[in-house]
Amino acid sequence: MSAEEIFEKLKKSVIGGKRKDVAALCTEGKGAGIAGKDLLTKGLLPGMEEVGRRFRCEEFYIPEVLVAARAMHAGLEILRDELEKQPAAQVGKVVIGTVEGDLHDIGKNLVAMMFTGAGFEVVDLGIDVPANRFVEAAKERGAQAVAMSALLTTTMVNMEKVVAELRKAQFKGKIIIGGAPVTKEFADKIGADLYAADASEGAESLRAAMAAA
Amino acid sequence: MTPRERFLAALERRPLPGRVPHFELVFYLTMEAFGKVHPSQRTYKQWKQMSETERQLHRDEMAQLYAQTAERFGQDAVMLHPNPSDDDELFRLIDNVNERTGRSVALVMHGDATYGIPDGERMTEFSMRLYEEPDAMKAEAAARVERALKKGERIKAHGGLDGFALCSDYCLNTGPFLRPAMFAEFVAPYLKQLVAGYREQGFYVIKHTDGNIMPILDQLLDANPHALHSLDPQAGVDMAEMVRLAAGKVCLIGNVNCGLLDTGTEEECVESARYALKHGMKAPGYVFSTSNCIYTGMRLSRYELILDVLRKEGVRPDPATVR
Repeated sequence: MSAEEIFEKLKKSVIGGKRKDVAALCTEGKGAGIAGKDLLTKGLLPGMEEVGRRFRCEEFYIPEVLVAARAMHAGLEILRDELEKQPAAQVGKVVIGTVEGDLHDIGKNLVAMMFTGAGFEVVDLGIDVPANRFVEAAKERGAQAVAMSALLTTTMVNMEKVVAELRKAQFKGKIIIGGAPVTKEFADKIGADLYAADASEGAESLRAAMAAA
Repeated sequence: MTPRERFLAALERRPLPGRVPHFELVFYLTMEAFGKVHPSQRTYKQWKQMSETERQLHRDEMAQLYAQTAERFGQDAVMLHPNPSDDDELFRLIDNVNERTGRSVALVMHGDATYGIPDGERMTEFSMRLYEEPDAMKAEAAARVERALKKGERIKAHGGLDGFALCSDYCLNTGPFLRPAMFAEFVAPYLKQLVAGYREQGFYVIKHTDGNIMPILDQLLDANPHALHSLDPQAGVDMAEMVRLAAGKVCLIGNVNCGLLDTGTEEECVESARYALKHGMKAPGYVFSTSNCIYTGMRLSRYELILDVLRKEGVRPDPATVR
């Protein structure tokens, strides 16, 4: 199989959520001497980009996104050793969490998946994360972005505190927020850099913002 | 008619003059309203160590809280959250609340067994299993229904409970978690079986789900619950549209915008309550309710505000007095 054929099959296998096929194709590609970065950027990531596009236009539902992301992870596992030697293969590091007082993780996990699919290294702080933990993690892990989620109107106000703490700590990266009650107006009001209406948009807009920075 | 009779009449979509019945899935603000923690928020780690006298004091206090909530806020039905949740304590709670209300308030409790949206930690595994082990997932779905109906049998034998609220959430604000075709495969048949089983046992069934239900509305209606609950306007579910599409098949409960109760102005809250009432009252079966519940963190005054709208504007004329 030529490199182009492997890339195309990888893309299709990611879209179809075929994790065993993805792993086998990555193994085959490595064996054929194809660079891990190429398998990632020409096969796996285009596959997840297409998944994101289909999710945005409501052709795909969440389980389909999740099985696609899992398939991509299966490929990343095969390529891990090689990719870790080439940090340039990743587009950036993002710290993500659900804000203090909020125990919901569905949206946050979905966004984390899409970030991973878009090539980010994700540091997931989980749920009910206080402002200082966002700040500490961003600093300690050298993150280029912080992403926050909230499901409740009663907890989304805590995002403002995190933004203020990050600014106070002179965090220079991008701050992106989202969640059911969150709006663009709210994001602007609290001084976040980006707002995303859904997981796919979050990954797209953060990647675009990082590329432009 | 008692509040219970009015609530059940609404579920059966029978003509119902007078004030529209009212129900909330949960009223969590018991500390603010009554100075007591909601029963579902308590942890009785030493329940079995307590003397029977002490246990009974706790049972009485929880039962009293449910009865007080119904009375103070004009709730025609209350949702029980038995704590502890074994059969014996459940039966005691049912009897205790019924004794206090004179069986005048309808009692419901959780009874879903279908697959809802899994939490974030289990979501990927759940999704993978749908694709990789579909037969095992269906067998599990059937077993869950069987277990729920067995419990239903035990509750029926005891008596005193009117129905179940099936609270597995199927939808997000954007739409169903599962593609409608997958919902038809992994959820709808079991929901239908569960509803039919409960109906056969003599229970009323309220199907609750958050989110935008419109893409699976036909499947929800086909399951034949007595009522659909939440009808969430934050997810784009419109009461006028629901009346048009579903009022002939199911009782409608909900649609007063919980998000507005939190962040909107008083005028917006009143307007949301008015909108739900205006259209809901056109349905033969309609129960006034928020689009979720009176949850922790909400202002009690906002709940009281929409109840005021219900009292003033949620009254159907009695045909006998209308000329």
